[in-house]
Amino acid sequence: MRVLKADDVGKVLLKGGPARVDEDIPARFRPGDRVVTRNINPAGHTRLPRYARGKHGVIHRHHGVFVCPDAHAAGKGKCPQNLYSVRFSALELWGGDACARDSIYLDLWDDYLDPA
Amino acid sequence: MNGGHDLGGMHGLGPIDPEPDEPVFHEAWERRCFAITLACGYLGEWNLDMTRYARERMHPAKYLATSYYEHWLIGLETLLIEKGLVTEDEIKRRMGEIGAEESA
Repeated sequence: MRVLKADDVGKVLLKGGPARVDEDIPARFRPGDRVVTRNINPAGHTRLPRYARGKHGVIHRHHGVFVCPDAHAAGKGKCPQNLYSVRFSALELWGGDACARDSIYLDLWDDYLDPA
Repeated sequence: MNGGHDLGGMHGLGPIDPEPDEPVFHEAWERRCFAITLACGYLGEWNLDMTRYARERMHPAKYLATSYYEHWLIGLETLLIEKGLVTEDEIKRRMGEIGAEESA
């Protein structure tokens, strides 16, 4: 087991724990693409919140390839995937009483998304 | 998982009210909890996503009734126990010793 020595703390903290993966995996979506989130209810870790499952959104930007947190939390390795910022209107998420001007942007992995 | 951490859309928690000039730590134990969590993370027995999942697995009623660094502490205990680095009995025994020292 690695042991963190007092003298190394600053160095280790500066390095951080980047989740970006240097791997070229073709992106399934491009900015402007319409997507729908999957209705998943895993017992494990996921970054797709309950309120955004089965909802329609638009790809806002493509972040690149990142560690998939669902697999990583389950000890199944990094399973690198493309990560996107996806825009959802408040009307789509919360219904007709929501403010029509509001949107929410969620960072979502390929495994959460289908083309709409 | 559909745990107590997934708060989006939940009513009744009151307004989000940011504290002006919020300190990094509100209590001395939080600073210690942060340091111990990072030091234990460096052991390499788990990754960052596993630490999040350990906190999410708290009972939802307990999760909502505890503070941010209490989540860190309870999540860390879960991982230390699961990886066999400490036992629940060892934690309880040490808690008892500290409690006895403080009330002496």
